[in-house]
Amino acid sequence: MNIRTGLVLTIVAAVLAAISFWMGQQAYGWMPPQASAESILVDDLFSFLVTLGTFIFLGVFVTLVYSVLFQRAGKYDFSDGPHIEGNVTLEVIWTAIPFALVIWIAVYSFQIYDQMSILGPMEHIHKGMATAEAAPGLAEVSEVSGQEPIEVLARQWAWEFRYPNQNVSSTELHLSNNQRATLLLKSEDVIHGFYIPAFRIKQDIVPNEEITFEFTPIQEGSYRLRDSQYSGTYFAAMQTDVVVESPEAHRDWLKEAAAQPPTVAYNAAFEDYRRASEKGVSAGWVTVPPAAPPLVNYSGSPLKEE
Amino acid sequence: MSSTELDSALEQPLSVETAHEHDEAGNSMFGFIIFLLSESVIFLSFFVGYIVYKTSAVDWLPLGVEGLDVREPAINTVVLVSSSFVIYAAERCLHVKNLWGFRAFWLLTMAMGSYFLYGQAVEWSGLEFGITDGLFGGTFYLLTGFHGLHVLTGVLLQLIMLGRSFLPGNYDGGEFGVAATSLFWHFVDVIWIMLFLLIYIWQ
Amino acid sequence: MANVLVDEPIKNLDEPESWRRFFGFSTDHKVIGIQYIVTAFFFFLVGGLFAMVIRGELITPEADLVDRTVYNAMFTLHGTVMLFLWTFPVLAGLANYLVPLMIGARDMAFPRLNAVAFWMVPVFGVVLMGSFLAPGGPSQAGWWAYPPVSLQNPSGALINGQFLWLLAVALSGVSSIMGAVNIVTTIVRMRAPGMTFFRMPIFVWAVMSAQIIQLFGLPALTAGAVMLLFDLSLGTSFFDPIKGGDPILFQHFFWFYSHPAVYVIILPIFGIFSELLPVYSRKPLFGYKVVAISSLIIVALSAVVWVHHMFASGTPSWMRMLFMFSTMLISVPTGIKVFAWVATVWGGKIRLTSAMLFALGGLVMFVFAGITGIMLAAVPVDIHVNNTYFVVGHFHYVIYGATVMGVYAALYHWFPKMTGRMYNEGLGKLHFVLTFIGANLNFFPMHPLGLEGMPRRVASYDPEFAFWNVMASLGAFLLGMSTLPFILNMVGSWIQGEKAPDNPWRAIGIEWLVSSPPSHENFEVLPIVVAAPYGYGKSDLLVSNADALEVAHE
Repeated sequence: MNIRTGLVLTIVAAVLAAISFWMGQQAYGWMPPQASAESILVDDLFSFLVTLGTFIFLGVFVTLVYSVLFQRAGKYDFSDGPHIEGNVTLEVIWTAIPFALVIWIAVYSFQIYDQMSILGPMEHIHKGMATAEAAPGLAEVSEVSGQEPIEVLARQWAWEFRYPNQNVSSTELHLSNNQRATLLLKSEDVIHGFYIPAFRIKQDIVPNEEITFEFTPIQEGSYRLRDSQYSGTYFAAMQTDVVVESPEAHRDWLKEAAAQPPTVAYNAAFEDYRRASEKGVSAGWVTVPPAAPPLVNYSGSPLKEE
Repeated sequence: MSSTELDSALEQPLSVETAHEHDEAGNSMFGFIIFLLSESVIFLSFFVGYIVYKTSAVDWLPLGVEGLDVREPAINTVVLVSSSFVIYAAERCLHVKNLWGFRAFWLLTMAMGSYFLYGQAVEWSGLEFGITDGLFGGTFYLLTGFHGLHVLTGVLLQLIMLGRSFLPGNYDGGEFGVAATSLFWHFVDVIWIMLFLLIYIWQ
Repeated sequence: MANVLVDEPIKNLDEPESWRRFFGFSTDHKVIGIQYIVTAFFFFLVGGLFAMVIRGELITPEADLVDRTVYNAMFTLHGTVMLFLWTFPVLAGLANYLVPLMIGARDMAFPRLNAVAFWMVPVFGVVLMGSFLAPGGPSQAGWWAYPPVSLQNPSGALINGQFLWLLAVALSGVSSIMGAVNIVTTIVRMRAPGMTFFRMPIFVWAVMSAQIIQLFGLPALTAGAVMLLFDLSLGTSFFDPIKGGDPILFQHFFWFYSHPAVYVIILPIFGIFSELLPVYSRKPLFGYKVVAISSLIIVALSAVVWVHHMFASGTPSWMRMLFMFSTMLISVPTGIKVFAWVATVWGGKIRLTSAMLFALGGLVMFVFAGITGIMLAAVPVDIHVNNTYFVVGHFHYVIYGATVMGVYAALYHWFPKMTGRMYNEGLGKLHFVLTFIGANLNFFPMHPLGLEGMPRRVASYDPEFAFWNVMASLGAFLLGMSTLPFILNMVGSWIQGEKAPDNPWRAIGIEWLVSSPPSHENFEVLPIVVAAPYGYGKSDLLVSNADALEVAHE
């Protein structure tokens, strides 16, 4: 390897590295808003992987493009290329470096996972602060001790949330900003998936199990909650909203909702099914009938009914 | 093999590999062994399922069931395992061209295998639980049923081999059919031993 | 075409064997290979049709094209058909055709078993298509058939779509095991004199490795499928949580096979890349021995990564971390291959034939897929994108980008050998351009969709996802169109293409030493191998008796 080749390679590597870092920064923009403490950790890890991945991809791609453009056989050149069978040094390098990268990525991922400390089944309850040190200016998360978990009931094809302490049921999940939310996930029929993209959290809900799940919202707003584990005919319609509000607003909401008599909520799956049954002629095959729409104190803003 | 081919083949130094093209019996045995290894993974998967269910179940045995009777299955086990030695004896007879000795031991193997199946059927009919009685019922019948199916297949293969032993010149090309059937029988036996330990001994 | 030596004598001037033999029970591995390939391609189009319905539905946010039950059947059968009736059979076909020729054997170890294994494919194809007529329609539980959804059986019938689906998959498993036993026995025991393991072409290494995976993995799927079938039809409680069963255990059985299955798919494609890149770069495969061994390492590692499909299922943390590490590790032997291919091409004398274009395009798309794969391996990222379109984008880059394009590359490369005709290069290049653009347009948008939170398997979605979905659907329609020049080329060239010489690509390999197509028994005498493969740049002979190989013609 002479100096000129070494220089060219260094320049190419530097350019690719710059592009890779730039892509890594762009990656934050590909994600939903960072509405939970966990999202900051996940986005950082993702950005890191995008940077690394871009570098590797461009390295291979640029090399191949160069070959295809400048190393073509002459039209009447039927001779062979050089008989190069291998190069032990090169082989060792491109085994050792990827191996080292794998260790690096695995360790970093493990650290992020550990910091997220979201819960799933078979794990200890980890009462504590969200450890999202990466976000400057993050509001202090108050430690919540002894908070009764919010019950999340999933069924084909509706979400229902119950706040047992306050005697409130709702089809919309309301949470207090900057407070660790503790949920108890339950399914009444098949496996569903509790997924809030803006929070970067997901947990499959297995029937006959009660799964404790925790995360910390950090930004007020309304976010989508979607069923992520295919659960049958109206799976795609099984969505609702998560509203993150200030602790005061949250307390007010709970009080108002508790005062409402339970009413039948609008349920997209149920409505679709009812309309289809009324038509008489079916455009599809027989389906598992949707469960009756939830009977809840609070069922989201009227705008959601369309 | 044409004579020109034979000549050309003989002219070149024959490596060990050439022999295999025409060693069809060797190929068949190799393939059969691979098949048995693969087949054993099905049973291993069922065993894993059984272990997972048994160790994680809250109520393992169905209501009213205290456990499995071990005595009769133990007798069946002795019969089945012994039949492996009997089939081996049959193979030895065939190897020295003692056809009637072969047939006698072979028939005895079939009888022992059939006795095992009979014993299994008797056990099944006397049980107080069915396949839908919880995970215990399901796994019990799944495992013993699947194994029993293999015993039945083994006995049927033995029947075919017994019939073929009467055809003149049947063993001119080697004894692959008998060797494979015998290997299958040993396989069925080993699976049973593991099954017996898992289901009847580990209760 | 500059690389075809038209002055090479065409050895086989016999009347071609009757075309009717392709429709009957033949035990010739070459006939069976082509039967597999053509049957598989038919089902590729069927699966593609289902994809058109899916993308047609998804071009608008509402579920307004077909009934939701129909949509769910579409994505279930799209996956099932594409895997069990296209991908596995077409790769079995290529293996069947090429392996005996490449190792210098006259046929496979068990020719009749080979034919039986093939004929099972149209049979279980009919069973699966027949499920459209079953009460309740075809399976709508996704190609994973997760319980409890797969056990719900709203029609209440005993013979329902899910039952037929399980039957079809079981038959597919039996056919595959037969094929695996055959191929492994053939490779281990029937190599020509002088062909040690380290003189085998990489395609043979790859196929052997893939079939070893089939042998240890398929039975686990069979076990899970039997238990699911019993739950569905007999009322057992293996996976039914209400009756105390464990649906997560099904996921373990399912993925214990289905993850290694993707290596069954990609290893032969790696083999194809390893065969083609040296020919069209006129250079040896870089690091042949290491590439060969890496296939076996992948076999071993493939057995211990399956839980990465279950990171969100409720697996404990220690399991998630363990499998995250094993999954990331598998990128090392894979990366070794990628770098070896780049090093093979580098500094060579490249010819961009259709086969080479598809091989290079497939390689690039594979690298992209590998990178999104590492992202998926990282548990915190996977928790976010699991079950979203990010995963769908990732695996379509592997399975369309790398696998389908790799198969096309192989078909172009060996078309002259198989049919005795040259294909039309112009149509081939058109096919490549449409495919490459279509595939990227169809599957790239799925990545941002997944990152933004769009779940997979949905018939309807929130309006914010519309833009990328429209892009993806347009790409899909383009992909559908892209098959037309291919079909035209294959059919037209086979009927009236220019007659092909033995070795149009001047490639080094035993299959190129006999006529195009080879005679029924392949060789007059078995070749005697005296060199390692990929001897480009040297003037060594591959076999010592090349002139004696051709079967005598009257």
